[in-house]
Amino acid sequence: MKLARILERILVSIPIMLGIAIIVFLFMRLTPGADPVDLMMGEAGHVSEQEMEALRQEFHLDKPIHIQLYHFLSGCLRGDLGTSYIKRKPVTTLILECLPATIELALGALFIALLISVPIGIISAVKQYSFIDRASMTAAFFGISMPPFWLGIILIIVFSASLGLFPSHGRLPFTVGLETITGFYVLDSILTRNWAALASTLQHLFLPSLALGAATAATVARMIRSSMLEVLRQDYIVLARAKGLTEYRVIVKHALRNALIPTVTIVALQLGVFLGGNMIVETVFGWPGLGRLVVDAIQRRDFPLVQGAVIIYAFTFVMANLLADIIYTFVNPKIEL
Amino acid sequence: MARRWLVAAFVFTLVAALLGGALSGCTSPTAEVEEEGKTLVVGLRQSVLTLDPAMHRDRVTETVLRNIFDGLVTRTTDMEIVPEIAESYTQLSPTEWEFKIRQGITFHNGDPLTADDVEFTFMRIITEGAVDGQSSPRAGLLGPLEKVEKIDDYTVRFIFSEPWPVFLRMLPHQQIVPKKYIEEHGSAYFAEHPIGCGPFKFVKGSLEEEIVLERFDDYYGGSPELPPVGPAQVDTVIFKIIPETATRIAALQAGDVHIIQSVPPHLVPELEKDPNVVVKSCIGTRAYAMDLNTKLEPFDNVLVRQAMNYAVDMDEIIETILGGYAVRCPGPAIPGSFGYHEGLPGYEYNPEKAKELLAEAGYPDGFSLVIDTDEEMKDVTEAIAQQLQRVGIDATVRVWDWGVLKPLLDAGERKAVVSSWGNSTLEPYDLFEPKFVTRQGDVLGRGNYSHYSNPEFDELFARVSVTIDDEERASIYRQLQEILYEDCPQVFGYSTMELEACSVLVENWEPSPDSRINLHDVGLKDN
Repeated sequence: MKLARILERILVSIPIMLGIAIIVFLFMRLTPGADPVDLMMGEAGHVSEQEMEALRQEFHLDKPIHIQLYHFLSGCLRGDLGTSYIKRKPVTTLILECLPATIELALGALFIALLISVPIGIISAVKQYSFIDRASMTAAFFGISMPPFWLGIILIIVFSASLGLFPSHGRLPFTVGLETITGFYVLDSILTRNWAALASTLQHLFLPSLALGAATAATVARMIRSSMLEVLRQDYIVLARAKGLTEYRVIVKHALRNALIPTVTIVALQLGVFLGGNMIVETVFGWPGLGRLVVDAIQRRDFPLVQGAVIIYAFTFVMANLLADIIYTFVNPKIEL
Repeated sequence: MARRWLVAAFVFTLVAALLGGALSGCTSPTAEVEEEGKTLVVGLRQSVLTLDPAMHRDRVTETVLRNIFDGLVTRTTDMEIVPEIAESYTQLSPTEWEFKIRQGITFHNGDPLTADDVEFTFMRIITEGAVDGQSSPRAGLLGPLEKVEKIDDYTVRFIFSEPWPVFLRMLPHQQIVPKKYIEEHGSAYFAEHPIGCGPFKFVKGSLEEEIVLERFDDYYGGSPELPPVGPAQVDTVIFKIIPETATRIAALQAGDVHIIQSVPPHLVPELEKDPNVVVKSCIGTRAYAMDLNTKLEPFDNVLVRQAMNYAVDMDEIIETILGGYAVRCPGPAIPGSFGYHEGLPGYEYNPEKAKELLAEAGYPDGFSLVIDTDEEMKDVTEAIAQQLQRVGIDATVRVWDWGVLKPLLDAGERKAVVSSWGNSTLEPYDLFEPKFVTRQGDVLGRGNYSHYSNPEFDELFARVSVTIDDEERASIYRQLQEILYEDCPQVFGYSTMELEACSVLVENWEPSPDSRINLHDVGLKDN
């Protein structure tokens, strides 16, 4: 039953994706902007008419817009998002090359966010109004208020330039010599038992994950705290204590499990945000992921690449939403899809 | 119970791994990139587009390629053209050049470099669809080149359809590729596994992350004019892509990289305080100015355009906003460029004179004006607007997205714009043609936002194209500058200096005006 509903939701997302693809395409074409071929020519003087015409034909720019849309949509269905104007490579290839880096960073950020937020949330709720509670909630307030790019630069200046604890940028130096299998460096270094690469990968992953995950850590910590506080006042907690359970069991087994229900949805949605919203962090840390690819593409006005990336982002968001809904039904069986 | 322990153990392992990683980093963050021998690391501001020298139009990409491939000629940091792969060259006629190629040069795979490779390189660029069906975007950089002919194994002839005086100055931008290797493996394979005859061999890397090069021990030594001649000084070169300026600077200060490009002027004082860092500057090749639309009121009146030049204090702008890291251009050309007119004093800052001229032109109370620009030039444009207000012109600034603004400028719908145009040869030809020659569709006057059209100028400019004699060409350039100086299609601006920084360990490296980084002669001191 549940599976059928999930399939149904996936099918419903297809027209959504199609709509997004059409809107993105039209926006890119209809916004006033310079002729892409003119931009490709840069500042060259004495451009030949032939040269411009050849490029126009290569990218179907000489065709009317509905034909271009047809080319684009039929390409999308075949998994072909067009060819980058500037890099002259298929957009799909460029995106697939960058995707593992982005996913790895998103997971790293999520891991760090949870590692910080769960204990803090629990302790703040259990010891409400204590020094720890106040201190961590103040820290959370800062965490939410700090823009990730600023935090990123501060982290680099402190931990990299001054203390020399972490590398300032990049994902893994090629000189470490990691054989890539999946494109996920943590996984690859474990698979190939390359422990030097694992240490270096984690080292490179730490600062960007922290910069990206800090705000989420703060949000989630506050969320866990407030739902824990609510749960701790429930009758079944009193009952659990009355049964003579240890405080540890009361908190972890009875309180935390129920307090996590709203948190899980937020975390699943945050994963979508991490995958789609890390352009700035990736740029600051020179992280070779999708976000940086897009920023670079926007700067160079590489429309097919921007277009393709926006579609991938939209897809990720739709999927993250669906995932959040599905997880919610699992943790709270009272709710249906 | 057992599950809880399992979870605890997992979390502990991960935390330990993270901290372990951090602590191993304590020893030295650069330790990981140091292999045997000396490794020089360069921080680039953008990703690299391709490793095929024929398939890009990008300075950063050229910076990397320049170290794998050599050209027929190259430039010194003073922009002087010197032979590299070529032994000598002569111009046979206004449309024909002959190059003798040095013997004994080999590619990284051991194949000898001959006239066939040179012919192949250039024909691949100018022939449509010659790169696996795609056309090279670099054809425009070769002007009216019609064909390249092999005369014998070590002699080639370049034949143009019309005279093109900047050929030699444009030639360092083209690098020689191996014919046999590309014909055997195809261009796609070549772009992944490039083979050149330059000082470094490509080892491995990703265009978005970093590119590792290794010294080519059989290197012929490069241009005899650029000492030291011989194999490269360092063993390994790594180009790292670090787009964010703050990160690039932090990486330099942390010792992760040795050379960085594009240092913003406002960060120079801070960098200069660091004893481990040296900031270097050289003259740039980009001309900044405010174009005035000569077809629209009030700038259709030359008196108003001259008044604008008197009303703007460029020296103040250079001092206050650009931190002094720019050179004022008294006229339309960049100081130091070929044929530069030393005799033009530049319009002095004289608000009174500006007001007089405005009154004479029929605008005693000034007029209102919106100056267009993009985000990059916002500060400078605002300063210009403020200065114009002092002479009674009600000037405001509108910041646009360049892609949106450009079609309007091309259509001649906007009155004034602050922007810039590159002049990488430092010969006024490739600046004056797009900026001041009468527009002709997409072909001529592509950056002529002033919509300036002066038959006398056009006629004289046409003569430059067919004048081979340097003296005579320089004299024509001077006349062209005089015409523009009087006509004022722009408020003449400045040229920013190239600011780059390196570690104190780096030896024999100077930034070059076209911002290319040639690492052949660069050394690295021991810590």
